Amino acid sequence: MSPMNNCETCPVHNKANLIKLGLNMEQVDFVVAMAGNPNTGKSTVFNNLTGLRQHTGNWPGKTVSRAEGGYVYNEKRYKVVDLPGTYSLLSTSTDEEVARNFILFGQPDVTVIVVDATRLERNLNLTLQILEITDRAVLCLNLMDEAQRNNIEIDERTLSKELGIPVIPSAARRKQGMNELLNAIEEVATGKFVCRPHRIKSRSSKINHAIAEIAAKLEAQFPGLPNTNWVALRLLEGDNSIIEAVRSGELGHINASESGKINTGVLTIDA
Amino acid sequence: MKIPFILEIQPGAMLIIGLLLMLLMFWIFWPKRGLLALLSKLKINNQRVHLEDALKFLFDCEYKNTICNVNSIAGNLNINMEQASRLVERLISMGLITMNDEAIRLTDTGRSNSLRVIRVHRVWEKYLADETSMAPADWHNEADRLEHFVTVEDTEKLAAQMGHPVYDPHGDPIPTIDGELPSPKGKPLNQMKAGESGVIIHIEDEPKYIYEQLVVQGLYPGMQVYVIHVIENKITFAANGEEYTFTPLFAAHLTVELLSDKAPEKQKHDLLSSLSMGEEAEIAGISPHCRGQQRRRLMDLGIVPGSLIAAEIKSASGDPVGYRVMGTTIGIRKQQAEQIFIHRKKENHYESNE
Amino acid sequence: MDPLNTDLKKEQILSAANTIRWDLGMDFHDTVIESIYEDASRIARKSVKQKGDKGAYSMDLKIDRIVTSKWLGFPLMFVMLAVVFWLTIAGANYPSAMLSAFLIDYLHPVLNHAAASIQMPWWLAGVLIDGAYLSMAWVISVMLPPMAIFFPLFTLLEDLGYLPRVAFNMDSLFRKAGAHGKQALSMSMGFGCNAAGVIAARVIDSPRERLIAIITNNFSLCNGRWPTQILIATIFIGSVVPAQIAGLASAGAVVFVAVLGIVFSLVVSWGLSKSVLRGEASAFSLELPPYRPPRILQTIYTSMIDRTIFVLWRAIVFAIPAGIVIWLVANIHIGDLSIAQHFIDWSNPFALVFGLNGVILLAYIIAIPANEIVIPTILMLTVLNSGLSGMGAGSGVMFELDSTADTASILHAGGWTLLTGVNLMLFSLLHNPCSTTIYTIYKETNSVKWTVISTFLPILLGLAVCFFTTQIWFMIMG
Ligand SMILES: Nc1nc2c(ncn2[C@@H]2O[C@H](COP(=O)(O)OP(=O)(O)O)[C@@H](O)[C@H]2O)c(=O)[nH]1
Ligand SMILES: [Mg+2]
Repeated sequence: MSPMNNCETCPVHNKANLIKLGLNMEQVDFVVAMAGNPNTGKSTVFNNLTGLRQHTGNWPGKTVSRAEGGYVYNEKRYKVVDLPGTYSLLSTSTDEEVARNFILFGQPDVTVIVVDATRLERNLNLTLQILEITDRAVLCLNLMDEAQRNNIEIDERTLSKELGIPVIPSAARRKQGMNELLNAIEEVATGKFVCRPHRIKSRSSKINHAIAEIAAKLEAQFPGLPNTNWVALRLLEGDNSIIEAVRSGELGHINASESGKINTGVLTIDA
Repeated sequence: MKIPFILEIQPGAMLIIGLLLMLLMFWIFWPKRGLLALLSKLKINNQRVHLEDALKFLFDCEYKNTICNVNSIAGNLNINMEQASRLVERLISMGLITMNDEAIRLTDTGRSNSLRVIRVHRVWEKYLADETSMAPADWHNEADRLEHFVTVEDTEKLAAQMGHPVYDPHGDPIPTIDGELPSPKGKPLNQMKAGESGVIIHIEDEPKYIYEQLVVQGLYPGMQVYVIHVIENKITFAANGEEYTFTPLFAAHLTVELLSDKAPEKQKHDLLSSLSMGEEAEIAGISPHCRGQQRRRLMDLGIVPGSLIAAEIKSASGDPVGYRVMGTTIGIRKQQAEQIFIHRKKENHYESNE
Repeated sequence: MDPLNTDLKKEQILSAANTIRWDLGMDFHDTVIESIYEDASRIARKSVKQKGDKGAYSMDLKIDRIVTSKWLGFPLMFVMLAVVFWLTIAGANYPSAMLSAFLIDYLHPVLNHAAASIQMPWWLAGVLIDGAYLSMAWVISVMLPPMAIFFPLFTLLEDLGYLPRVAFNMDSLFRKAGAHGKQALSMSMGFGCNAAGVIAARVIDSPRERLIAIITNNFSLCNGRWPTQILIATIFIGSVVPAQIAGLASAGAVVFVAVLGIVFSLVVSWGLSKSVLRGEASAFSLELPPYRPPRILQTIYTSMIDRTIFVLWRAIVFAIPAGIVIWLVANIHIGDLSIAQHFIDWSNPFALVFGLNGVILLAYIIAIPANEIVIPTILMLTVLNSGLSGMGAGSGVMFELDSTADTASILHAGGWTLLTGVNLMLFSLLHNPCSTTIYTIYKETNSVKWTVISTFLPILLGLAVCFFTTQIWFMIMG
């Protein structure tokens, strides 16, 4: 039985808790980023949460400009940013840079990774990359209705344990699973749920050594940096925005304990 | 009303005038060979070209540990002895080289100047290879042309955009801005012994005619080679399941880094394009000829070693073919499918639900 | 720590990373990605189970086998597109007529009366009502209904997942022209509106092919140009054939022009990919998403907001100043003649070499905001220029006539021949994009160079085609 429609009685199923704010987003308490592959239903989830009507369509690549919206849940105000859909964060395309820079420097309090349950493996590629950057994420296992029609069964517990973050099955088009998602976002944002994100295990020892060497140097220069290994890896890949962040010292402002709503001035997120 | 002159021309004459005008336009605007293109080429300063080419050549000699004199400069730059000696004099007076018993050496300033030119050249080669659809044989020439008039700032911007590349498409390291360069690795293929295996790390791109032949033969940096036997004037080796026999002169254009720990791959890969409808196989890799954005896209879509791929539907016109990989059907053109290597499974039991 | 020291340390980190990169070798990036996939695949194996057959997916495959089959693939596609176009053209007639009856026949005189009653100066009323208002009214009544039908239909096909299959089937044709299969879609979208077609080229993620699709989109005969084609074909082509087949012949001529547009867009795509765009990066990828039942209401809503209103708004913004210019050139006099007449007299000899006339040239220059107002402008200028009395609504006031015969008599009086008609049809296909489209091209490419090329290339082509048609015509006709 799918867990997404058995929640008539559970406490989170309370529509009154949610107030959609549309574009009105002053003085937010938390920033939520929506990331994921193209065509996984990000905009549909976004529309459900904020009450806006972003263009959705069955065609990869149609969300071109970034959208923002807001909602109030349990008296806390949230700002949601719908990032462009990407397959990866490791290449040098503009879209990927926008998404990557926002997750790293924009320091959202929670990153919601919307994945297609019928193509989990490919979607996990991006998920794992995001989990290397940020410690606070929720996996929205969307399109569960399609997975069911295809007789695909996903063991959410195992998945959640492997990834170290909450996993919420949903069918955004039917508005199923949205309350559970809101709740999970809240738990991660307020620190009730502490994520232990998965780290890549199958790297060769040569690469791991290289990463460790650079990471140690970074650690000395920028103590408290939450994702040193990832930054080291990016330096080894020659990522210009990270190199610039090291040079300007901006990297030092990223801090594990603090959320970065103040920090948006450094962003160029308009695609 | 007076009939304007233009209307009195005979239609036949008019047609010819029109055709001539069109030809004229083509002649002016044609890319590469048109008048505008030629004019822009004229703007390049010949003296600067020679100076920079000479510096590059001298650095190359130094890197390879060979001795270089006026004669070899003349040969490399394709100029006569008189021009070459004048060039050398100029370089000496600028304090870029010293001459000692015929042998020419770079001074420190000369070396850093030549490293700068080399950096510009290699960064642009990398750019042309990855971010444009220029043919491999043209990368070097185009970079040779560009290196003399692009600015250092443009080059650095480009390098930053590409993620500060450290290797050019021929496998050569790109010097840093500060002029650092790793010491040469590997050895020429003609010095390898039978039974040794390694990875091609460099294909010399000059002279052009040898380089082009090597490319046509399908050799590329990153390819594994395994030397089968060496007899005096022939070296025979295997790469990607093909056997090649080269003369030492040819083989010297390939630099190989020896592999000690990895067993050489001897099996020949099949190409994805050879898969028939409904057949499934495991992906072995993507050819290095597939570069830049195209390569990234394929990897994004799940074309990585080890994943399973099945040919599923043909488009109404036969090409592209829809392949199913990681739960998604993607259309791949034949030309790309020929750049994706697969391992066929021993038995093909593709479970389709027909 | 003093800042100098810190900077030094940072540079040390960077240079250490750079040194290691040489050791990591050329395929470092690939290995990094591969190891992530390896983890992903391990996690997926642990948590995903496929029970029994793949239900919906095998259904998708069955549908795909039909829509991409050798025999059915193309016919199905043509039927689908034909239905969309038929619904658009047939369905738009009625609302268009209603809008025009209200905005132009009813509201325009009312506004004029109102202006007179408050004693507005005649020139101000002319600029505001006959110029700005009228051109806006024209654009709305001609443009809105077809777009409001076409875009939702198209978006429904998009949402269903059928469009990627069209791209998949058409790819081999476009590949030969150096373009991407998805260009089939931006092209079809261009039949509705070129500005929307240019935006639709976003789905092409390869830079070179996307530019090709943008530059050649103007060769798709857009909604704003169909009425011109039909009118001119009826008047000039229909009249040279026996009356029984007049309808058929003129319809055939219009279809011929549209197909010619497709041919031009393929040939120009090929030419571009072989010349100016040869060096641009190119990467092919085409995902075939699963079929999904579209959500009709939501689709209609978003396609209205995202496409119809968006494009209409841009068109109106450009049409208002154009209306003012049109009125002014017809009403400002230098000596005895208006600016418009001066220009027409001056350009006529050149225009005749191309088989056109000064009126057409002027109309295409001042009606650049929207193809919809070309015919009304031509009629107004013809009446103005040939001094026909009792026709039209005054200088600077664009108009159209209900009867084709009356329109024909105005044009004949203006010196139009069959050749002029043929050339106008060709020129209407091959001329600069409307200003909305030009602006959209600039927005999408962010480059003045490509905007200029997309603007002038079709004009040059159009002039060349008209020129050769005319001169060969003269040679044959003696
Ligand atoms: N069946 C089903 N379809 C969905 C679901 N969520 C989204 N979709 C559809 O998937 C397509 C892509 O959605 P969209 O939100 O535009 O994806 P995005 O590209 O990630 O922003 C649209 O056709 C949606 O209607 C879902 O839970 N179930
Ligand atoms: Mg979206």
